[in-house]
Amino acid sequence: MTDAVLEVEDLHTHIRGPAGTATALNGVAFDVNAHEIVGLIGETGAGKSLTAMSILGLVQPPIEVVAGRAVFDGRDLTTLGFDELRQIRGMQIGLIVQNPRGALDPMRPVGKQLADVYRVHQGGSRSSARERATEMLRSVGIPDAERRYNAYSYELSGGMAQRVMIAMAMINEPTLLIADEPTTGLDVTVQAQILDLIKARVAEVGSSVLLITHDLGVVAHYCDRVIVMFAGRVVEEATIPQLFDDPQHPYTQALVASLPDRSQQDEVAPASGLPPDLFNLPDGCHYAYRCPHATESCRTPVPMVDFDGGQRALCHFPHR
Amino acid sequence: MTHGTHDGAPAADIGRPSLGARIRRSVTRGWAWLVAFLRYSRTGMIGVIIVTLFALMAIFAPLLAPYSPTRVFPEHILEAPSAMFPFGTDINGMDILSRVIHGARIDLTIAGAAVVISLTIGLVLGLVSGYVRGWFDLLLLRTMDVLQAIPVLILALAVVAASGQSLTIVILVIAFVDIPIYTRLVRAQTLSIRESAYVESARAVGNPPVRLLAKHILPNAFPPVIIQTSVRFAWAVKITAGLAFVGVGIQVPTPEWGAMIRVGAGQIISGVWWPSVFPGLAILIFAFGLNLLADGLQDHLDPESRS
Repeated sequence: MTDAVLEVEDLHTHIRGPAGTATALNGVAFDVNAHEIVGLIGETGAGKSLTAMSILGLVQPPIEVVAGRAVFDGRDLTTLGFDELRQIRGMQIGLIVQNPRGALDPMRPVGKQLADVYRVHQGGSRSSARERATEMLRSVGIPDAERRYNAYSYELSGGMAQRVMIAMAMINEPTLLIADEPTTGLDVTVQAQILDLIKARVAEVGSSVLLITHDLGVVAHYCDRVIVMFAGRVVEEATIPQLFDDPQHPYTQALVASLPDRSQQDEVAPASGLPPDLFNLPDGCHYAYRCPHATESCRTPVPMVDFDGGQRALCHFPHR
Repeated sequence: MTHGTHDGAPAADIGRPSLGARIRRSVTRGWAWLVAFLRYSRTGMIGVIIVTLFALMAIFAPLLAPYSPTRVFPEHILEAPSAMFPFGTDINGMDILSRVIHGARIDLTIAGAAVVISLTIGLVLGLVSGYVRGWFDLLLLRTMDVLQAIPVLILALAVVAASGQSLTIVILVIAFVDIPIYTRLVRAQTLSIRESAYVESARAVGNPPVRLLAKHILPNAFPPVIIQTSVRFAWAVKITAGLAFVGVGIQVPTPEWGAMIRVGAGQIISGVWWPSVFPGLAILIFAFGLNLLADGLQDHLDPESRS
């Protein structure tokens, strides 16, 4: 029955350092289905970006994927060789990163970088790659695309640069697009334009999206489903209505409660507390030390509890 | 299915421009860059002028020099500068001006060839070792340490003295001792650039390593290398002359600046200064020009400052 494009199973990623080993990802598991936009949210250090990097095999020592699978297109990405992975990156899985200007080579015209991605994967002549790149620039709303083809990244605004990154991620019409905080550092108005653009391009091609963000508003607007991460684990998985109306995990509840509510004039309730020490994670539930409902039994291994409609939460006492 | 079909008009513009058009465009672009550079940097401008003059001197030496550099005037031995011999004559009765002009040919050729060779090898080694790291990097670095631990001039002296006086040997020796300089510089650049966000993202879209190195890392590593090249060129001229001065390498009557100084040095205490001072000045001014050029480039070569 599954039409999952990406199945992540029990992903463990460690960061080795002189001070010990940080358990950065601790059994991450989720699916991304076809034509679906899945939000991946969580606070800084929860392992959102690392999950993306681990899936794409882009982690380098001292960071290491130590266990788990990431099945994409019938193949486990964590076991693929360098060349097989390389052929998937940019071809079947597109990546949009934050800080687009940093992600574009300052010494190479952006159009060429775009054409590179096409030509590396699809071959063909330079002129056809150039044509395709120009067309992509136009499709992401860059005016005067022929001229912008020869522009350098420092000549573009942040929003323009992110449009180029979207063009680059979508040029080979990937099955899956991973967007890692694509709107960080952009104006709010530009943020909406960029996200709308991603959504439109993706709908046209029929790709699925893993949208990494820490903005619940973005999730509510653009995603079909959401995965909440905390301290290297998925703590809750829910559809958008489930997330806002009936959050099960206390952390999700705190996140949702932290949203300002216009109908009430009350003060916002921030989701308080610091991220846990990844070098020294507690047994059992990682969230227990911040949880208002924690009891002694929270120190024992936590079960993933399933609810109706596909909702899941990693908690001993969901919905308290 | 948006691609493949295009609405007529722009297609011709988008296609690859002809070779002639591309050459013209890069020449125009290069010229614009030079003009911007000269406007930006006064020191750089002086450097460019000096280096250009020396290059022209080397190219057009036979036209510029009043006499053949090896023609002997038996009645005019050690003659002071005059209208006939503006820089005077040396102990063999050869015109020093002509020899200084022709010397630019020899010295610039040796130094230029040496720089090109060491730059090429250093670039490749530095890129590879900075990119792959691991045991290759370690081995290469230790080798470079050993190379650099040996005093350059003594090594060059020993090799040139042992293997004869050919121009090729002098070029190869100078190139060889300069390889570590480029290797280290390029390696250090590569190490930092390979971690940059744009290389990371170029990797994330599936560019193969060779492409990452050639299209992303190399161009970004290049500006400091150009600056270093300018400095090392001056150094190569000095060491060419230095080798000839101590008597190995190029020999008289070949018009080479260092060899000329050596021949002239014998008479300098008796007040005959011109045989050694003029070639010395040539080395000094040329090296000065290259250093000014390097200085100007250092200020100017930064991708953000280009417009």
